[in-house]
Amino acid sequence: MFAGEDSMEFVEKRLIERAKRGDREAFAELIEIYKDKIFQLAYRMVGNRQEAEDIAQETFLRVFANLHTYDDQYKFSTWIYRIATNLCIDRGRKKKPDFSLDEEIEQGEGLDWYSRLSSKEQTPEEKVVTQELQETVQDALSQLAPKYRSIMILRYIEDLSLQEISDILKLPITTIKTRIHRGREALRGRLRFM
Amino acid sequence: MECREMAGRIHEFLDGDLDEYNNQLLQQHLRTCDRCYRHMRELQRAIAFVQSASHIHVPADFTDRVLAKLPAPTKSFRFANWLRKHPMIAAAAVFLLLMTGSISASWFERNPVIQVASANLDKLKIDHSRNVVIVPAGTKIDGDIVVRNGSVEVQGEVTGNVVAIEGKVFLASTAQVAGNTEEIEAIFEWIWYELKNIGNDLLPATP
Ligand SMILES: [Zn+2]
Repeated sequence: MFAGEDSMEFVEKRLIERAKRGDREAFAELIEIYKDKIFQLAYRMVGNRQEAEDIAQETFLRVFANLHTYDDQYKFSTWIYRIATNLCIDRGRKKKPDFSLDEEIEQGEGLDWYSRLSSKEQTPEEKVVTQELQETVQDALSQLAPKYRSIMILRYIEDLSLQEISDILKLPITTIKTRIHRGREALRGRLRFM
Repeated sequence: MECREMAGRIHEFLDGDLDEYNNQLLQQHLRTCDRCYRHMRELQRAIAFVQSASHIHVPADFTDRVLAKLPAPTKSFRFANWLRKHPMIAAAAVFLLLMTGSISASWFERNPVIQVASANLDKLKIDHSRNVVIVPAGTKIDGDIVVRNGSVEVQGEVTGNVVAIEGKVFLASTAQVAGNTEEIEAIFEWIWYELKNIGNDLLPATP
């Protein structure tokens, strides 16, 4: 009767209704559906497992506390991603001042980056190379300003559509596109030597 | 200058936004311009690298730890918890209530069937259009009211509990309910589930 996305949304709607009434088992199932996605987003945003786990936990606690305000005209995923993204950005703000990508781009892309890479290049084993690639990608992401980083993660790691990202961040789709263009250029500058 | 224009087209292409005409222009340009070709390749590679970032998972006990941090259960769920702890009594009581209620009153409606159990059925009203059982203002109902497949609207007084199974409980400003008001979803499903669990507990554990 149901297939693919539709059945997923149907199951979710039922779970949300039950969770709204205080049903913890239903809420646990919602956590199961989203825990890795939210953790992944947080980890790519803050670059640290422990902190990412804290953010993921806090996200679900807020979702639970605010379930009664959730408007089911919108996708649940949009709502939970918004809560998580805001938590990540707030946390970053507390730790260090926001820096601007526009400056970074002008500063000529990654000479420093290149020298760091070549110093690491000696290891012959493939495993280490994979590990390095992972670290390089994470580093490149972490050097983006949060407002670009979040969008690049939502687009290319969480695999969301431009429309859904626009809904999550409550920004016009044209703004999302501009930021994706700039984010891509910045990542290109940092990853072109790989 | 042409290359500058192409940069915009490259990004539109990567967003899947390029129309056929502009796509043709871009492809033609890429065939002849090394610089733009490299630009495009580098962007595509950067995207591929980010997409290749391995997906990580939360620790196995994550869900349990979140659940442990949730605030204490609210009133509306306490009744369900009580039922959970006393499934046999609950099952027996609910079945009995529903059976005696529906048989003695024969308040069967066409699908879905509203079922009502109460000691004072004569005082209750049913609003068929809204699928609601009403305790009218000024009336006093002794004991519990259980409604299934419909909602309850209390305007008067109830000395016991008001329970809606697969329905809602509405309280008017004039309502007086001495007991609890509860809304329960799909009670039979989980009573059945609980009963099965009890059955499992009674079986000797296999070594
Ligand atoms: Zn060109």
